[in-house]
Amino acid sequence: MSEAPLLQARDLRKTYRLGRVDVPVLRGADFSMKPGEWVAILGSSGSGKSTLLHLLGLLDEPDAGSGGMWFEGNAVAGLRGGARNHYRNRSVGFVFQFYHLLPELNVLENALLPCKVAAGIAGWPAARAEAHERVTALLQGFGLSNRMQHRPRELSGGERQRVAIARALSNQPRVLLADEPTGNLDARTGGEILDMIAQLHRKGLSIAMVTHDPAVAARADRIVHLVDGKVAG
Amino acid sequence: MYAFQLANRYLTSRIIPLIAVAAVALCVALVVIVVSVMSGFLDMLKSSGRTLMGDVVINYPVRGLPWYDELIAEIEATPQAEAATPLIDTYGLIRMPYPQGGDKEVVTANVWGVEPRSFERVTDFTKTLYWQPPKDDAAAQAMSKEDPRLQLSPQIATDGAALRQSGTNEPGMVMGIHVSIVNERQRDGSYRNRFGWFMPDQRVTLTLVPISGKGTVAEPRERLFPIVNEFRSGVYQIDKNRVLVPLSEAQQMLRMDAGLQYDMDAPPNADGSQPVLGKSPARVHRVLVRAKPGVTPDQLRDAVEVAYDRFQLKLLQDSGKIAKPPRRDMVSILTWEQHLRDLIGPVEKEREMMRILFSIVYLVCAGLVLSIFWAIVQEKSRDIGILRSIGASRPGVLWIFLQYGLVIGAVGGVVGVGLGWVVISNINAIHEVIGEDAPSWSWIGAFAVAAVALVMAVRGALAGSLLRSLLWMVFAVTLCVAGAGLIAHRGTLIWDPAVYYFSSIPDKVDWLTAAITWVGAVVFSVLGASVPAAKAADIDPVRALRYE
Repeated sequence: MSEAPLLQARDLRKTYRLGRVDVPVLRGADFSMKPGEWVAILGSSGSGKSTLLHLLGLLDEPDAGSGGMWFEGNAVAGLRGGARNHYRNRSVGFVFQFYHLLPELNVLENALLPCKVAAGIAGWPAARAEAHERVTALLQGFGLSNRMQHRPRELSGGERQRVAIARALSNQPRVLLADEPTGNLDARTGGEILDMIAQLHRKGLSIAMVTHDPAVAARADRIVHLVDGKVAG
Repeated sequence: MYAFQLANRYLTSRIIPLIAVAAVALCVALVVIVVSVMSGFLDMLKSSGRTLMGDVVINYPVRGLPWYDELIAEIEATPQAEAATPLIDTYGLIRMPYPQGGDKEVVTANVWGVEPRSFERVTDFTKTLYWQPPKDDAAAQAMSKEDPRLQLSPQIATDGAALRQSGTNEPGMVMGIHVSIVNERQRDGSYRNRFGWFMPDQRVTLTLVPISGKGTVAEPRERLFPIVNEFRSGVYQIDKNRVLVPLSEAQQMLRMDAGLQYDMDAPPNADGSQPVLGKSPARVHRVLVRAKPGVTPDQLRDAVEVAYDRFQLKLLQDSGKIAKPPRRDMVSILTWEQHLRDLIGPVEKEREMMRILFSIVYLVCAGLVLSIFWAIVQEKSRDIGILRSIGASRPGVLWIFLQYGLVIGAVGGVVGVGLGWVVISNINAIHEVIGEDAPSWSWIGAFAVAAVALVMAVRGALAGSLLRSLLWMVFAVTLCVAGAGLIAHRGTLIWDPAVYYFSSIPDKVDWLTAAITWVGAVVFSVLGASVPAAKAADIDPVRALRYE
């Protein structure tokens, strides 16, 4: 008996409007991943792989008439407002190619940001100590013990990406959505980041990783090829 | 929590918000300064009016009120009145003791004949007597060493309060401090004697012109008065024009004292004199009344009107008294505020106009915050995308920028009120500095710093930084213009006491206006921030995070 999918999408469609021209990016893409699985979404530039990741993370909305999306068996495509924010905050964690850390905050503050969003003003005093402990341990595990108080501009590319991964995992989501996580790094540093992701995967984290590099995709359990907005094969 | 943290970081790690804070602060300071000066002017006008003439004034000019003692007794019997005092109010000529030799100077003056003791109870005039020795050591130490008051004996204050020279027991005169030209006002508000003259050592000749009941002018009367003190009410027009003499002297000189009343229409007696009709009472032009604590001037005026009616009825029924008081509608009974309405009304309207006009400043605040925040939101759109990707809500993003605007308005408002307070507290000193030629060190300093800035501009250009060079250049040119302005500055008298009524500029902050302005600055800064904040909340995270 096959295991129920953790995250599933069926017939996703997305069209962007550039001026007066409609540009279809996803033309009915299907996606499915099991709990603890590492899936690489491989495709050339413009194939719609980042858009698929954004839709899976509810950062963007599919076109009307698209199929559905399910997380842990629950339909999530139609979530609105607070439930949508809650999904982005707790169920998934995003990692981007360009790290996207907030320059005004130091390493620890950047990594704590999702916890603060989760707790809100009223809940933060109660949640603070536990979140602090968890995130500090996470950063220490990523070799950033002596970088806690540093601003992003004082870090190397690899260190920044490690902080970004720590931020994505700070609320202990079930799925990591990584968009070209090594795309801005040299081969050696990129390899280190992939090793780190592999280690997280071994500990049971489910990962959906977008890449255009077959060598990077090869590290995953399974590769999904995206061609012209559809999953090939 | 994150909203507060980010608003705080955006505020402290960048220079643009500081510019917004400075702009809000300047706007607030402008309003606080202008409205405080106007409110202070109005308050001074009101309080001086009250201290100089009590709460209610009964006025019957030229002929004067007879039997005023009985009127005063009637008024003082009412529960609303604290005290009442009779007053002669006329104009006269004063021959000054200066210059030495040759023709002495003659000035016109508003002469008040007062009964010192009751006048003091109604107006606190002894507090305005300028020549008094310091009350204690602390007051003495606060004075400049050259202050002539340090050399005075307490007798001068007693003489001033009694309008009598103690040595000679002569009735004396108290002059406004600016009636003579010998008192020169210093920067700290004290006076020095010019040309070696000290007025309380001098005598002046006062000339008054009596006016008969028929309105004809009688023979002018002259009298020599020793100056026993000088007063400083703070109202320039009064300090420049008014002198006080004892009531009885003024009445005698104006032929308004008690005497016999002759029947001028009857044929003369055998000795050639006119037959006597009866006793003619002394008269005064005004009666000033002070209210008991807690009684408003309007309540007192009503009580005085009733008292006047009683007084008039009593006198009409008294056949032994030939001179009858005028009917109440011939006499004006007004509160001090009504008496000064012509002066106070327009100033009140001007202040309100100022408040309305300067409310435009709020729109400037809102516009500034809006434009600065718009730029910040554009620049920070990626951060906003990140926040949305980690689950921040739209209201959360909105709140970051609203909080940011709130802090800029609040901090800018506090700085502005502080700036306004500093300027207002030192406004007379600032005015004095503006009133003098700029000292040479000021423009030499400006040119010296400009020269350094010019060198820095050249260095910047050589180092290849056009921006740095340009900023230093702008700084240098600004300083040169300021230096040239300082050289050209020849002292401008902005607050001319002759025009502005008071001899000093009001220097108290109107805290109510300051509070309202602060709230306005906060509200309008938040309103200004709300548009960019809403734009920030509407940012599409996918578009914000797109990097190609």
